Amino acid sequence: MSGTGRKRVRSSALGLFLAAALLLTSAGCGDLSNDELNRGVESLSALAGQGQLVANGVARDATKATYARVMARTLGETADHEAEKLADATLEEAETEDQRHAAVAVAAEISALLSELQTFPGDEHHGELVEKHLAEAQEKADAIVAQLSGDAP
Amino acid sequence: MKGEGEIYVVHRLLDEQICDSEGRRVGRVDDIELRGSPPRITALLVGEGLYPRRLPRWAARIARRISGPETWGSNALRIPWEEVDELTSTVKLRKKAEDLGLGMGDDPRRWIVGRLPWN
Amino acid sequence: MKVILKIALGIIAAIGGFLDIGDLVFNTQAGALFRYDLLWAVVLGTIGIAVYAEMSGRVAAVSGRPVFDVIRMRMGFGLGLVALIASTAVNLLTVAAELGGIAIVLELLLDAPYSMFVVTGAIALVAIVALLPFGGIERFFGYGGLVLFVVVATVFHQNPDWGAVAHGFVPSLDSSTLYLYFVVGVFAAALMPYEVHFYSSGAIEEGWSEENLKENRLNAILGYGIGGVLSVALVIVSGYLFHPIGVEPSDLGTVALPMQGAFGETGLLLALGGILFCVGGAAIDSSFAASYNLAQFLGWEWGRYKGPRKAPRFTASWLVFLLLGIAIAQSGINPVEITEYSVVFSVVALPLTYLPVLLIAGDRSFMSEYANGRIAATLGWLYFAVIVVLSLAAIPLLLATNGGGG
Repeated sequence: MSGTGRKRVRSSALGLFLAAALLLTSAGCGDLSNDELNRGVESLSALAGQGQLVANGVARDATKATYARVMARTLGETADHEAEKLADATLEEAETEDQRHAAVAVAAEISALLSELQTFPGDEHHGELVEKHLAEAQEKADAIVAQLSGDAP
Repeated sequence: MKGEGEIYVVHRLLDEQICDSEGRRVGRVDDIELRGSPPRITALLVGEGLYPRRLPRWAARIARRISGPETWGSNALRIPWEEVDELTSTVKLRKKAEDLGLGMGDDPRRWIVGRLPWN
Repeated sequence: MKVILKIALGIIAAIGGFLDIGDLVFNTQAGALFRYDLLWAVVLGTIGIAVYAEMSGRVAAVSGRPVFDVIRMRMGFGLGLVALIASTAVNLLTVAAELGGIAIVLELLLDAPYSMFVVTGAIALVAIVALLPFGGIERFFGYGGLVLFVVVATVFHQNPDWGAVAHGFVPSLDSSTLYLYFVVGVFAAALMPYEVHFYSSGAIEEGWSEENLKENRLNAILGYGIGGVLSVALVIVSGYLFHPIGVEPSDLGTVALPMQGAFGETGLLLALGGILFCVGGAAIDSSFAASYNLAQFLGWEWGRYKGPRKAPRFTASWLVFLLLGIAIAQSGINPVEITEYSVVFSVVALPLTYLPVLLIAGDRSFMSEYANGRIAATLGWLYFAVIVVLSLAAIPLLLATNGGGG
């Protein structure tokens, strides 16, 4: 019966803990802060990067068509989702409106390029082109991130 | 056996796996019946109906709703102490499970698998 | 000679069965974000599971008690029930994550809907369990998982900066919360308790006794040790490819890209095939662990060898856990996210299932002359301290980093 004392301590610690967790998560819910916008654009950069690697495999004819197609589709869906999120959110800082606009455009571009890869997963020429354009899109995304970091207070 | 020795056995006995004479697993020692003064172990108690006893009050209410009231013969079973054969890493009984009313939960006749033609 | 062969085969199966979707996700992300800096955490976790598994296997062989028998006996009904509920919840998330992983790989190979593969994958697993003998199941998935040594081959093909790699094995604590989160994640992914619970119950199913103690130690040290090499390799290939271009993998399929880069389509297929076997084996291990734990705690008859007729509740619970896993995997939550939660919550619950085993393993009244010697005891308690610290830090870090999103 040594468990009861330990259990009492456990439940009050748990309560305190849940309260702290709630506070942390509810802080700043709803508006898109500079940080979150930053993260969103960084994830776009990562999507473009992964897309390039897939496209590179297609370009070298060193991959499997089904793999390339499914990867392109999954990455494209994530890009679309990110685009919607960025477009719909209300910005915390109005000055970042330009960056948000640019980010949504880059997301749409990435999505379109991945769609092409999805349609032509076996075509080496397309693979080359998509890889090149995704690299450009990634640079644009990285530039937006740099601007946002520069703007950070 | 002296009073303290008895408490030690209770401590080691509680929550142990119970096996019948054929080695079938038929539940755990969920509670122990002690009678007399000094207390002597008279029976082992097994069954879901006994779980609420082992929990703190707030949990016991929920557990009672799930397991139902203690119904001796169905969700609470009594194994007289004389039925215990030996105590090793399990409590081994003298008789087979059916003879003591144990192991009904895993009785193949209650499950459709047991009634499939090739079984 | 036959004994040596049998032990060697067991070790090989352990190597192949070492990785699961948690390791794949966390090690790849760790490499991408921090290059080689988290290698020490991988090694720490790998030694940890070897310690836990060796103790559990020894306790099972000498005292005939699997992990949840030890837990109920040592902690009593109330606290044991807390451990059971926590462990079952984590195992369910794990089953769902592994089923999701199977579906993703099949989708990548065959391009048919993910949700269809969650169900067909589960059905295939049930068929494999029903048809193969218990020992054969571990071998089947273990040998298949060995194909993942293509990752090790990729490391040598890439020829990374070996100095930087060596430096990564030296423990260092960066102050960034994201780094600390991944220390926890990488460690926890290596030390998933379901693997040990499955191993301990398997020891009893195989009728282990004191004679098997040497085999137990070899399984733990060599099996998990060499398996750890695969984890290390995963971090390295990922760090080499993804870190310089700043890509954080968001997809399970991305894990295979380094192998594709090194060996083209062959590398890709070997990587995907290896992942499929590892994750498939893990789905079986985690679903069985859930059933083993439940049945052992409540005192039901249990065991794959007993069959559905002699152990109907155990068998039924296994099928129910698979069904629940399917439901969660198809709920629309990204399997990679489910994986992250399963790994993080597993380390939170880990002290509850680790401590009783440690206590019994060191208790001479249960283990007689096979109780923990000085090395086992030191390692055992050291790891308990590490596990407690990580278990307390896990959820705050999860929240602070937004689930590893930075």
